[in-house]
Amino acid sequence: MNYILFILKSAIEDFSRNKGRTFLTSMGILIGVFAVVLLIAFGLGLKKYINDQFESLGTNLIRVIPGKILQGGSFRSGPSALGAIRFDEKDISRLQRLKSALYVVPVVSKSISVSIGKGSELGDLYASSADIFASLNLKSQYGDIFTRKEVEKRSKIVVIGPKIAEKLFGSADLALDKNVKIEGQTFKVMGVLEAKGGGGFGGPDLDSFVYMPYTTAQVFNPDKKFIAIIVKAKSDISVDQVKKEISDSLLKRYKKDDFSVIDQAELLSAIGSIFGIMNAVLIAIAAVSLIVGGIGIMNIMYVTVTERIKEIGIRRAIGARKTDILYQFLAESIALSILGGVMGLLLAYGVVLLIQKLFPAYIDTGSVALALGVSSLIGVLFGVFPAKKAADLSPIDAIRYE
Amino acid sequence: MIKLQSLWKQYQLDKELIFTALKNINLTLKDGEFSSIVGPSGSGKSTLMHIIGLLDKPSKGKVTIGDKDVSMLSDDEISSLRNEFVGFVFQQFNLIPKLTVLENIMMPAVYARKRLAFDPKEKALSLIKQFGLDGKENSFPNKISGGQQQRVAIARALIMEPKLILADEPTGNLDTKTGQGILDLLHKLHKTEHITVVVVTHDPIIAAKTERKIEIKDGEIL
Repeated sequence: MNYILFILKSAIEDFSRNKGRTFLTSMGILIGVFAVVLLIAFGLGLKKYINDQFESLGTNLIRVIPGKILQGGSFRSGPSALGAIRFDEKDISRLQRLKSALYVVPVVSKSISVSIGKGSELGDLYASSADIFASLNLKSQYGDIFTRKEVEKRSKIVVIGPKIAEKLFGSADLALDKNVKIEGQTFKVMGVLEAKGGGGFGGPDLDSFVYMPYTTAQVFNPDKKFIAIIVKAKSDISVDQVKKEISDSLLKRYKKDDFSVIDQAELLSAIGSIFGIMNAVLIAIAAVSLIVGGIGIMNIMYVTVTERIKEIGIRRAIGARKTDILYQFLAESIALSILGGVMGLLLAYGVVLLIQKLFPAYIDTGSVALALGVSSLIGVLFGVFPAKKAADLSPIDAIRYE
Repeated sequence: MIKLQSLWKQYQLDKELIFTALKNINLTLKDGEFSSIVGPSGSGKSTLMHIIGLLDKPSKGKVTIGDKDVSMLSDDEISSLRNEFVGFVFQQFNLIPKLTVLENIMMPAVYARKRLAFDPKEKALSLIKQFGLDGKENSFPNKISGGQQQRVAIARALIMEPKLILADEPTGNLDTKTGQGILDLLHKLHKTEHITVVVVTHDPIIAAKTERKIEIKDGEIL
């Protein structure tokens, strides 16, 4: 009989004799691996989700915002983060002169309540020029998007996202040409946009926005200033080049720390790093349960060794070396730990399958390798002391043990 | 040939209390001898057997097996020697309960470090047949009688074709008739296979039937 097979058989036979105990012991590892793998799956899903959200806006989208909100790839806080300046028409026309800029649009955004008759909904006002739709790849589903004409005429119209349209009117198509009240003023719904999907997790929920010509919005915004400028770069020019041109142009008027020029990738990595840290913290907490599981294995292995002192003595009497005994018990603790790891992995896989319709969580090969690797490592780490104890028993004391 | 020279075994029972189990033992066991170590319980006969069988180490003195001084061997070498040179038969049978008859008999072969000249499974099956255990190959030890268990133990002791069989009260847990059968088996093996057999017993009748009687009392050979 093959030596390794014999050792494994010993381990498995012992498990089948102590099914309940085996299951309960491996449960510690099961829970740990389940939690860690699931959290990694969520982290991966979240990353993918955020990526998809921003990618749908196009990678050549650049935001110019007051203050220095990003530094070294992550968000910063403090007074200078928000900045004191606001942009105006001069900045827009200055940037519009840049050859590398395809669209330059001002943004005024404001939390508002939108009402029709009795019902009212909270939403975000997004006041801009007509190019905002082209910049964000937004198309109308019903009616039209506003054009330069409406901007120039300061028309009292809005184009609304499908989500808020549905909330207000029950169905997106019913919103067309209806009047809505925003902050006491009446506006006509000129168009309803196609659904863009998403929202939440740092991605903008474009489907809940109320879009309005920025000229019209000056009724809420008497100082005629903008909180951001969105620049869509021409596709054949590198984003970095455009960003530099924007910076150079604005530096003629503002100080370096007064504004930031951020592209999608930067924003993405900053958001990603926040979630990355959160995810890592959660995984670290979950990993503690793996250690607890390991201690459970260690505990039960000590019990197993004590229960089988006589057997160890018999094996030594017929010629087993210390290392044979060590391997036998180590194989058992590793098998116990891997059993828990595999069960945890399967359980996590099941949960991921169940939630995949709601959230794009997924288990990659790295997670599988990690789960199996970590559980074998735990088997070794927490099994080696009991196994060493078994191996170091004196043959004569062991065989005389009753 | 096994030679014990000026052998002492002492146990520290307490800080100041030392128990001497064996006192100045000098003994030579010739190859192919059938001897018995006989004495009352507590006389040190089991301790002596454990030292001969390399399960235990003397406190003082020298054990030589063939031309090897056992004190010079590593734990692994001693394990290999136990594996290849000695076969144990215990009063309690000492089979591993979760292994079948066949697996119990084959177990020493699993721990063998040298290349075996025989196929362990074939050899185990032939021993099973030879000892009248046919049909019990896949039984577990608790499903067969005491006599059968002891025959499994003897088969396990024989599978590595050892030079020495050490039997510690091999009939102690068996009725007279079954016990006699086990002794007959040991005598037969001694005759046909020329194996050195040492039986440890407190029973003078069993001792009387051996070629050489080594009497021990209070740790000393009489």
